[in-house]
Amino acid sequence: MAFREKLESGEFVVTAEVGPPKGTDIEEMIHHIDLLKDKVDAINFTDNQSAVMRMNSLAGCKIALERGAEPILQMTCRDRNRIGLQSDLLGAYALGVRNVLCMTGDHVSAGDHKQAKPVYDVESVQLLKIVDSLNNGKDMAGNDLKGATQFFQGAVVTPEANPLEPQLIKFEKKVKAGAKFFQTQAIYDIEKFKEFMKYARKYPVKIIAGLVVLKSAGMAKFLNNFVPGIVVPDELIEELKAAGKEKALDTGLDICARHIRQLKEEAICDGVHIMAIGMEDKVPEILERAGLL
Amino acid sequence: MIITKKKDFKDLMENLKNYQKFFLIGCSECASLCGTGNEEAIKELTEALTAEGKEVTGGFVPKTGCQVLGTKKELKAFKEQLAETDCILVMSCGAGTQTAVELFPDKPVYPTNDSLFLGNMTRFQMFDERCSLCGECILDKTGGICPVTTCPKGLLNGPCGGMQEGHCEVSPDIPCAWVRIYERMKKLDKLEEFRVTIVEAKDWSQGQKPRTLYAREKKKKEE
Ligand code: SF4
Ligand code: SF4
Repeated sequence: MAFREKLESGEFVVTAEVGPPKGTDIEEMIHHIDLLKDKVDAINFTDNQSAVMRMNSLAGCKIALERGAEPILQMTCRDRNRIGLQSDLLGAYALGVRNVLCMTGDHVSAGDHKQAKPVYDVESVQLLKIVDSLNNGKDMAGNDLKGATQFFQGAVVTPEANPLEPQLIKFEKKVKAGAKFFQTQAIYDIEKFKEFMKYARKYPVKIIAGLVVLKSAGMAKFLNNFVPGIVVPDELIEELKAAGKEKALDTGLDICARHIRQLKEEAICDGVHIMAIGMEDKVPEILERAGLL
Repeated sequence: MIITKKKDFKDLMENLKNYQKFFLIGCSECASLCGTGNEEAIKELTEALTAEGKEVTGGFVPKTGCQVLGTKKELKAFKEQLAETDCILVMSCGAGTQTAVELFPDKPVYPTNDSLFLGNMTRFQMFDERCSLCGECILDKTGGICPVTTCPKGLLNGPCGGMQEGHCEVSPDIPCAWVRIYERMKKLDKLEEFRVTIVEAKDWSQGQKPRTLYAREKKKKEE
């Protein structure tokens, strides 16, 4: 699969993200898959993101495969116990999914089914170990599998967590548990990210920087105040403000493209993960401005 | 101790609408500390029931409501009052209520409280939950602070991405369990231990309900 090979050979990768629909109408998702498939190396399919119930990630991955796109299956531990997770992983493999991103998952209290019982039978570090075990032909309980998986497994990390050290310790545990690549929480301060990379480079893993497109100064402030682990520096907020209402989005696209260009040209990390959140249509334009298309 | 809270009086009256005569059983342990099963609570409930036109034939605070044999012995003195009632109200936890259910097979037994959690009392009648009786204690691996209980996700290997300035993603009022564990382990110079140990997924079979234990049997076997 191209994503793994490209990443392992040291080439700069680009991934994007698509959220499956709330409902059975997959037209928009298909539109986004078709739009992105030749422009990015892989597409993440989110798993009931923010604990909001939607179509599952696996269906999105399968549809992507049918259309010639390479999917990354996001898997959270919120909704399935160890039996459900392993069973879905085997199913995903049989359907052709090769990349999996292991996450803990937002708590149900963030979503639209607040009365749900959160599962968390295992968590991200343990899920990585499970994937490693399935790759080695055994289930979590040590039973032999008839046919092993060969997943390329990744995890997430928040380079701007505060306090940072416990997050880094968890990162190290994820590496030890078998994570091969990381997609980070959104970053905006490249200089600070370089410091994180100096640390992360000590580990044999690939780091893909998360980028969220800023639509306005208001959005940037919202991220600063309400989204854990995201810090938008004041200069960027000023830049968006100066652009005025009409040109704010355009400036946001520019900022994103500029960051991609810098991350690639200075070889700061191994790729970028663009979380467009409702602006998937703009991803090709960002990549064009970044000189990647 | 077991933390209990009085049921809403209106709801309680709705449950009791088919009964007229009550006997009230409290508990001198947890429910007394919670103010839900002490003499005062019995007095209050007696007054409230009387005001609703009900009769209370008597009330008693046994030493330990979840101790079946002891409670049985103590209640012998109230044989007559108990015989007169058509419903027994238990003002302790769900365990105490089920002691009465066992002792009075022919009488309806109703709880007046909701049983909430195993709690620590931090100030007078102020409680928080620190242990959820998971059956396999891992405090030895987590600096003595329980993430199974105090992290809403029960994570075992460090904070999730939702942690913000030391607070939990679920609520700014909850300190992140994993930041607390990290800080304590750092203070105790045990960060290396935290760093290198991957805590395995919990063995939930140890918490399989209903649980029983006969401590003396174990002692005999060991001898
Ligand atoms: S790990 Fe936590 S819940 Fe389990 S017994 Fe220990 S303190 Fe209680
Ligand atoms: S923020 Fe901390 S306490 Fe809250 S769910 Fe995440 S790890 Fe657990």
